[in-house]
Amino acid sequence: MKSSKALFLEIGGILAAVVTALLCGFVVILLTSSEPFTAISALLLDPLSSTFNIGTILNKAVPLILTGLALSVVFQSGVFSMGAEGQLYIGAFVGALAGVYLPDLSPWIHFPLVIVCALLGGALFGAIPGVLKAYLNANEIVTTLMLNFVAILTTSYFVNNQLKAASGGGYAKMDNISKDILLPKLFPGMAAHAGILIAVAAVIIVYLLMYKTSIGYELRLVGKNGHFARYGGIATRKVIVVSVMISGALAGLAGIVEVLGIHGTFKENFSANLGFDGIIIALLARNHPIGVLIAALFYAYIQVGAQTMQFGSDMPREVAVIIQVMLVLLVSAQAIFTYIKQRYARSGQKAVK
Amino acid sequence: MVWQTIWGQIVDLTLVAVLLRVMTPILLASLGGLISDIGGVINIGLEGLMLLSAFTSIAVGSSTGNWAVGVLAGVATSVLVSYGMGFFSLKMKVDIIITGFAVNIFGSGFTIFLMSKLYGMTGNYSPSGAPRIPTVNIPFIEDVPVLGKLLSGHSLMVWIALFSVIFCIFLIYRTPYGVHLRSVGEAPYAAQSLGIPAKRIQYSALAWSGVFAGLAGAFLSNGLTNMFVKDMTAGTGFLALAVVLLGNRNPIGILIGSLIFGLASALATIVQTVPNSPIPSQFIQMIPYVVTIAVLVFFALRNKRRLATMP
Repeated sequence: MKSSKALFLEIGGILAAVVTALLCGFVVILLTSSEPFTAISALLLDPLSSTFNIGTILNKAVPLILTGLALSVVFQSGVFSMGAEGQLYIGAFVGALAGVYLPDLSPWIHFPLVIVCALLGGALFGAIPGVLKAYLNANEIVTTLMLNFVAILTTSYFVNNQLKAASGGGYAKMDNISKDILLPKLFPGMAAHAGILIAVAAVIIVYLLMYKTSIGYELRLVGKNGHFARYGGIATRKVIVVSVMISGALAGLAGIVEVLGIHGTFKENFSANLGFDGIIIALLARNHPIGVLIAALFYAYIQVGAQTMQFGSDMPREVAVIIQVMLVLLVSAQAIFTYIKQRYARSGQKAVK
Repeated sequence: MVWQTIWGQIVDLTLVAVLLRVMTPILLASLGGLISDIGGVINIGLEGLMLLSAFTSIAVGSSTGNWAVGVLAGVATSVLVSYGMGFFSLKMKVDIIITGFAVNIFGSGFTIFLMSKLYGMTGNYSPSGAPRIPTVNIPFIEDVPVLGKLLSGHSLMVWIALFSVIFCIFLIYRTPYGVHLRSVGEAPYAAQSLGIPAKRIQYSALAWSGVFAGLAGAFLSNGLTNMFVKDMTAGTGFLALAVVLLGNRNPIGILIGSLIFGLASALATIVQTVPNSPIPSQFIQMIPYVVTIAVLVFFALRNKRRLATMP
């Protein structure tokens, strides 16, 4: 009973943070726009005004769900990785290699093979900072940030040289992946591709993994109290490496789904900070898989809203950044949540008296 | 061909000039990172602070026609936002890493927002005739063959950066404030129990990091390029974080670290300008990042061995 009350408070607090963040965005719009109400309604209502826009929301949510999951797993083990961006590039790159260069295969074999390659690529690249953290205690924030650059520059080199598609024109990208393993549209005539099904499946799998298996339990325990976990006989180092690898695999999946669903091949610099947006999603979701799903949909909604606002009014879409930043800060503000809980506890006591 | 070009530029000392130029923003930003790091409030928002300062500096500089006013406005903005970081992390108990992360998103997005709202541009803003941070020509020395090219003709900000190293050594190791700063960073509760105002020190540490990140950002727009380009920091703030660790958390180490990073990007710039270069510029650009990881591993191994040999 008590835990459901705590959950209720938590969700209430997050909703309050969302509303406050939106209000901050509105204030900026009111101050700087000559047609503030057109802008606000374009931001809030236009994303739902057409099936095309709804499809776009789903498509934008897919990689965010996957990178959000990636980071929620690694954050739960107490490792503050910033490396999803790099892992996403490596996963997409390795997956795309398998997609482009494997000889003729049945799509039923080819597609899973591509996915597995992307998962492995991300996981192995993720293992590097994991091992450095677990065995040498090297600062993971710095190593993952540096490895992002390594990943982006390495893939950029290959698609600018050896692997550059002749048909690409001025663009640095690989040859196109054969159409029969690209992700199909969810419904004919709608923009959304089938990646959303993969993302939802990933949410369920990560949920089961984190809350119904022993590895998930160990992972969360290490994150809550590393010393206690070690004292309790958990091989904390291995757990950390495993968690970073799972996270890398999910980030790699995000990359390959984006390649198979949107771009059709690996392009230089295709991600545009999806890995970093994943950090926001994981923070908003308080690292919970179901929360990740909701947070990513909300975030994608705001992004599409920002775009429709840019079309429909005089406001540039970067206004959404104010909402994002306030969201991040308010949702992670421990002081507010402690304050709410204390107030609630006190009012509860009074009621008992 | 590439080697000849590089060698040629080493011989005629162009490399030194390029090196000093690209090193300056890294050095300034990492001195900022150093002070906040020593105070126990790791500032990963340097990137965002630099962008905000770069934009403010060129905007104010070009509208007032005075580079110094521009630079001061840039630094002031950066300091103000660092105080905001202090409010959220020290008062509202947001994790300092998350706060810095938020500042980075904010800096990147908000500068583009302002650029499009104020000037109707989305990619870059290059006001014609915007005043530049002046270069310092030292009389007499500038006519001496080698010495002249080594010492004269650099931007004023290059000198400010080099003197900042000395200033930081003095501040951290020679003043009571430095002692307080270090003790707060080592053990905030112990420091507080001795009557040191830990929170206030940490606010000031963040403010110092704002000052230096602000100078670095102002140099990018008002010194190096005379324009603002969206996301023009391109990872310099993150490099600075790496330099703090690379430099073993002291100003001289940071100077050396910045030189290594500066050298790598100076070489990458030269290689990029040579047509049909056999050395891919991506791998030269990668050197600083790989070096950082290698150095981090080196320090970690050394610490581990030291712990193992302790009685």
